[in-house]
Amino acid sequence: MGKWRRTVQIIVLSAVVIIGGYAIGMTLFASDEGAPPKVGGQPPSFALADLEGNVHQLSDYEGQALVINFWGTFCPPCVKEMPEFERQYEKWKDEGLTILAINLSEDTLTVNNFVRRFELNYPILRDMSRKTERKYGLRSYPTTFFVKPDGTIMEIKVGGMTEQEIDERISRLLQH
Amino acid sequence: MPLVENTKCECGHQNAVGTVLCEHCGKPLQAQELQSNEPLEMRYDGVARRSQKVNPNWIDRVWNFFSSVKIAIYLIILTFLSAMLGTVYPQENSFVNVTDFAKYYEENYGALGLIYYRLGLSHTYESWWFIGLLVMIGTSLVICSLDRVLPLYRALNKQQIRKHLQFILRQKTVYKGMISGDTEDWSKQFGDALKKKGYRVHRDGTALLAEKNRFSRWGPYINHIGLILFLLAILARSLPGFQMDEYITIADGDTVQIEGTNYFVKNEKFTIEFYKDEELPDKLKGTARAKLFETKAVLYECTLNCNDPLKEPVLEELKTHDIIVNAPLKYKDLKLFQYDFNLTPRLNAVHPVIINKETGETFGPFDLPMKDSALKHEVGPYTLELIENYMEFSIDANGDPVSLSRDPNAPAFVFHVRGPGLAENGEPYIYFPMQKDKEIFQQDRLNGKLASKLEISVNGMDNVNFSEASTYLNVRMDKALKYVWIGAFFSMLGLLMGSYWQHRRIWIRIDEGELSLGSHTNKNWYGMRSDVAWALAKAGITVDPKSLDNGGNKA
Repeated sequence: MGKWRRTVQIIVLSAVVIIGGYAIGMTLFASDEGAPPKVGGQPPSFALADLEGNVHQLSDYEGQALVINFWGTFCPPCVKEMPEFERQYEKWKDEGLTILAINLSEDTLTVNNFVRRFELNYPILRDMSRKTERKYGLRSYPTTFFVKPDGTIMEIKVGGMTEQEIDERISRLLQH
Repeated sequence: MPLVENTKCECGHQNAVGTVLCEHCGKPLQAQELQSNEPLEMRYDGVARRSQKVNPNWIDRVWNFFSSVKIAIYLIILTFLSAMLGTVYPQENSFVNVTDFAKYYEENYGALGLIYYRLGLSHTYESWWFIGLLVMIGTSLVICSLDRVLPLYRALNKQQIRKHLQFILRQKTVYKGMISGDTEDWSKQFGDALKKKGYRVHRDGTALLAEKNRFSRWGPYINHIGLILFLLAILARSLPGFQMDEYITIADGDTVQIEGTNYFVKNEKFTIEFYKDEELPDKLKGTARAKLFETKAVLYECTLNCNDPLKEPVLEELKTHDIIVNAPLKYKDLKLFQYDFNLTPRLNAVHPVIINKETGETFGPFDLPMKDSALKHEVGPYTLELIENYMEFSIDANGDPVSLSRDPNAPAFVFHVRGPGLAENGEPYIYFPMQKDKEIFQQDRLNGKLASKLEISVNGMDNVNFSEASTYLNVRMDKALKYVWIGAFFSMLGLLMGSYWQHRRIWIRIDEGELSLGSHTNKNWYGMRSDVAWALAKAGITVDPKSLDNGGNKA
């Protein structure tokens, strides 16, 4: 029995390290999975179609400064922001800014009419059945996520912004 | 020079470090123990714990730490205390709709609540240190058991029949006396009597060992295996896909995906029924007492295009079930419980007709869903092009039409209509499917002259499709639960084995006509003494069971 003692000890202790390490690790690192995103954390992934039917994934924009805005035509501050985002997009796009405006699961005609009316050029993505909005834990509209090129969230702005406020945040975002 | 402990017994047997009683003859090995006359410490039959070594290295030290029952008890006490702390205020996961927990705890439980939250006690059972304690208890269970059960098994499996006199006479139940006549015959007679009591008897000349219910010694270890399984099952809950506790809302007729899975659920119809007055006792008459909450549900699994935003998912039906309270839809490990409901109706689609007011002719009906309708409808001689739609129509401060929400609370459609008697390139027509909106927003006035030429309207409720209610379902999955039950079963089995039966042993030897008898059990010494007295009586020696007590019995 003596010669097996060391083997048994090593097997038992390794099992403890693997199972215990995994269980404790899960509580430390993975507990945010499925929880709404926080400042400093990573935005949840998505794959959404734009108006032309191209699929945009969050991972397509890795390494870029990103503004993710949730909007709807039924929300007056969102409507006010959209042309402001357009101007900001034109101003900063050459410096690597991307704006993704995710519509709050409205129907195609409504979104198309709106985009045509304001001549928006940044990608307008279509959420379906409120899935992405739930993943992002949205409580009110508009909500805007400023994502740094390293993929972490710099700020989550709930509610409308003035153009100056948008401008100030974007220039801060691009400094990272 | 450090003293090396002498572990060799006078009978010639080499014992392991830490042995209390010689594994072979049972003679006490430690000098102090040898000189005493007190009853022997019989725990684990006096064998050494497996891991005891002269020169432990770091692996041995870790092992020895977890091998200590004292440490195990401290760990258990610590875990109990922290588990108690977790019950002071409700845990975070008991709230369905709270997002800002810091605020919630402060508002509801005051400053203490905030401290409670800041200390992380609001999620005690998911915290790294609590899980860490569980892991350590698990480790301790495995190592303590291994270190004791193997030597114990070995000791009980090859017991020496002839024991040292000191071993026999220092048991807690002892008899000493002279035997007249043939000692071998007496020993046989005594053994036969014990066999009737269910003992297994082994003889070696005049020496005898009788034993019963040894299996009860394995009870604690089977109990530990159960507990380890139980703990592993609890830890497995943190594996992805092992546990789920979500809530979904489904309007009548809708199909909704269960987030994080490939399952979709359709609510065919939600029904709520109340008791009629004649079914109620007098004091409850006139009150609304629910008799039934029922969701006719269909569970689907997505087989294709599940996460493709451009395509409709392909669904395969798995099961239909009428969910009522306490009768969830069950599929594999998934359970859907009736949780709540909402009786706000929602308009889904209308099937209106077009009436030519000048001729009285009716065309249609055509299908007009509230969301994502076809952009062009050909109805009889008319062509309707949908140019605007509103879910909750209103007029804003500038006098422009807007939608106040994305839910079809007051839907409106603007068509470009072409057809007989209308302008060549068409005329705009606004249509409110709901009668109340038609009146509030004065549909006819908005349509001007066109209102006298044609009308879009719905003929009766058969042509209206709406959801009467929404059902709220609680989606639960707990794959670990069956292992928890299996663990609990073994734990209980071990507990029963260890507590309803006792391991009893009797040793005798006869040296020159003098009988020495010692017996040992782990509990119920009263029964042990009465067994011995009964067998002695059968062999011609009458003793009072109480007189066999050698002291040291607290039980």
